[in-house]
Amino acid sequence: MADQGLEGAQPVDLKKHPSGIVPTLQNIVSTVNLDCKLDLKAIALQARNAEYNPKRFAAVIMRIREPKTTALIFASGKMVCTGAKSEQQSKLAARKYARIIQKLGFPAKFKDFKIQNIVGSCDVKFPIRLEGLAYSHGAFSSYEPELFPGLIYRMKQPKIVLLIFVSGKIVLTGAKVREETYTAFENIYPVLTEFRKNQQ
Amino acid sequence: MSGSCKNCHSRSIFRDDVSGNQICSSCGIVQEFDNYDAQLGGINGPQGTFVRVGTSGSGSVLNYKDKKIYEAQKVIEDITFRLGFSASKSNDVRILVSTITEGEYGLGDWFPILVGACAYVSMRKDSRPLSMSEVASAVECDLHELGRMVMRVVEFLDLRGSEFPVFDIVGSLERAARNSPSFSRLEADILERIVKQGIFLLQCAMKWFLTTGRQPLPMVAAVLVLVSKLNEVDVSIENVGMEVHANVSTCKKRYRELLEALVEVGKKLPWGKDITTKNIVKNAPFVIQYMELKSMSKASGKGKDLENVEIDLQSAVSECLRKELEYESEVYNLEDDSQYFELQRSRWQDESNRDNGNRLNISHECLSLIYNKFLDEMAELRSSGGINEVYGTKQGRKTGFYSSTEWWEGKSELSKKLLLQQLLETDIGSQGIPPSFVSSCNAYERRKEKVNAAKKRIQRIMHPSTAPADDVNIKKKRKRKGADVIEWEDIIIETLLLHGVQEEEIEKGHYKVLLDLYVFTSSTF
Repeated sequence: MADQGLEGAQPVDLKKHPSGIVPTLQNIVSTVNLDCKLDLKAIALQARNAEYNPKRFAAVIMRIREPKTTALIFASGKMVCTGAKSEQQSKLAARKYARIIQKLGFPAKFKDFKIQNIVGSCDVKFPIRLEGLAYSHGAFSSYEPELFPGLIYRMKQPKIVLLIFVSGKIVLTGAKVREETYTAFENIYPVLTEFRKNQQ
Repeated sequence: MSGSCKNCHSRSIFRDDVSGNQICSSCGIVQEFDNYDAQLGGINGPQGTFVRVGTSGSGSVLNYKDKKIYEAQKVIEDITFRLGFSASKSNDVRILVSTITEGEYGLGDWFPILVGACAYVSMRKDSRPLSMSEVASAVECDLHELGRMVMRVVEFLDLRGSEFPVFDIVGSLERAARNSPSFSRLEADILERIVKQGIFLLQCAMKWFLTTGRQPLPMVAAVLVLVSKLNEVDVSIENVGMEVHANVSTCKKRYRELLEALVEVGKKLPWGKDITTKNIVKNAPFVIQYMELKSMSKASGKGKDLENVEIDLQSAVSECLRKELEYESEVYNLEDDSQYFELQRSRWQDESNRDNGNRLNISHECLSLIYNKFLDEMAELRSSGGINEVYGTKQGRKTGFYSSTEWWEGKSELSKKLLLQQLLETDIGSQGIPPSFVSSCNAYERRKEKVNAAKKRIQRIMHPSTAPADDVNIKKKRKRKGADVIEWEDIIIETLLLHGVQEEEIEKGHYKVLLDLYVFTSSTF
């Protein structure tokens, strides 16, 4: 167990997280360029953990067990890796996929690895009056209970989208680095406490 | 006219109106025949077949764009008619569509959805109730397809905050009650009462978080059905649900939740412990009256001084209690409640000896005290055997179960549409917690128990000698109950505990993340 996002193992750093709550990272999406043209059909035929249905989607879908992730591999050599729970895991998984492609006989490199999106979630453990929040933060929020039960809050700085639910559960998405997720949550937390419904 | 004279090269050629020939005005030479003009006109009107580029249809002189706009206007007219819009509102929609499409309108499957979205946005801008599901059914498209278009329209028009008010759930209740066929045969005053009571209950439901983050229409249907029942109007939840374009099973679920919330408030009444979801409909008038009094006590501005609430003893207590008697006249099987009817009888006897016109200051808190006093009196009466006489006289006064509406004052501010802030400040005797929050708390508790159980199991295996003595009993119980059978979740929790994951982390329940971060990490090194 190295230092790969184990905030939970240590006590919460209140300087970094004044709210005392650390959002849990649920999904990391990264991209990398293997920098060579790929024969998807050949890959699909040789790799046993790959599926390829060109009628449905123009990429090979490949999965590995550890770290448990899924990759989309395109003929251009570009690859998207999803499902990792930390940045390091995502990079490790991408490297593993690149290695698999190399073993299949393609001159795959590992160029321009980039984290594209980080999704986190947490629970503030108090109910939130979404109507009130939508009213006073109208410029940033969209609350349409006819369509979706949560309030969609588009924070400008950092540029993060938050889904806020009445149960007090929050989803944060759109971050490129995990600090953005944390900052966004620390920004929204005082706002949420304002609309908290006191528990009996 | 065209070119110069072939003879004198003068440019003064004119067309002779009679022959149609071109003649030079300086030398008088008739020019060569060049008039290939189509013979459009004449005494008999257009003749022959016109062949022209850019027309569509046979004999049509409209070009594609004109036809497209014409068809689009028809679509707009059709949809606004189906939604029952006025002429001016339809015009608003037309202008909106025209602005968004930059006057191009459109043909194709997307266009009716755009029109529907514009209709919705234009109504909502004016704070008029029109639900998205109603529009979706008029346009015959999927709700979320329409929703996406609505959001695009809102984005395009850059509507924010007060320009685009939240969906008016109270208004939609009014609209549903007035437009729904189930209520169309009702008399105006009954309908009025249903609407007012409905608004009251709906705003209570909003306070109880029963509408937050949920589709508004099923709750509207549930409230309408409950209020109709209280007013002896026979409507089915299926019909009302369909009429307001809500999912019937969701309506039923909301109805149940509404009843549960009322039971919660009803617990504050003196006989609260007897109130369950089964008899709450019969008890609802008291509960509603209680909430009404409570809300008025705040609204009166006297704040915390509950004693200042002015309630006529007669209107508050006697009506409340008389209602029980009236219930009994139709609901004979309520044996459990017999004490209340008996009490009522005693009270009436008591009342006859009293100055009826005497107005007293009494709070709803006092109600329960008074009630308890009556209960005591009742006990005395019963022991003295005087009850039977009273019983006989009261039976003669049989009135309809629901004919009396005296329990409903309708004076509370909650019967009118309130702003959210006002609504939240009004006290109705119960605060309410969102069901999703309750279930999330329960899930935490359940996981906590599982973590503790897992810890015990680990302890037992690692240190068999120091295991608590009552372990054998626990094991036996587990076998019998069956509920504590070890399942996948327990195994995962055990694994996580053995990998040194903190308990608080496990209680959050993000097992997959924790497994990935702490357990399946062998390949990292």
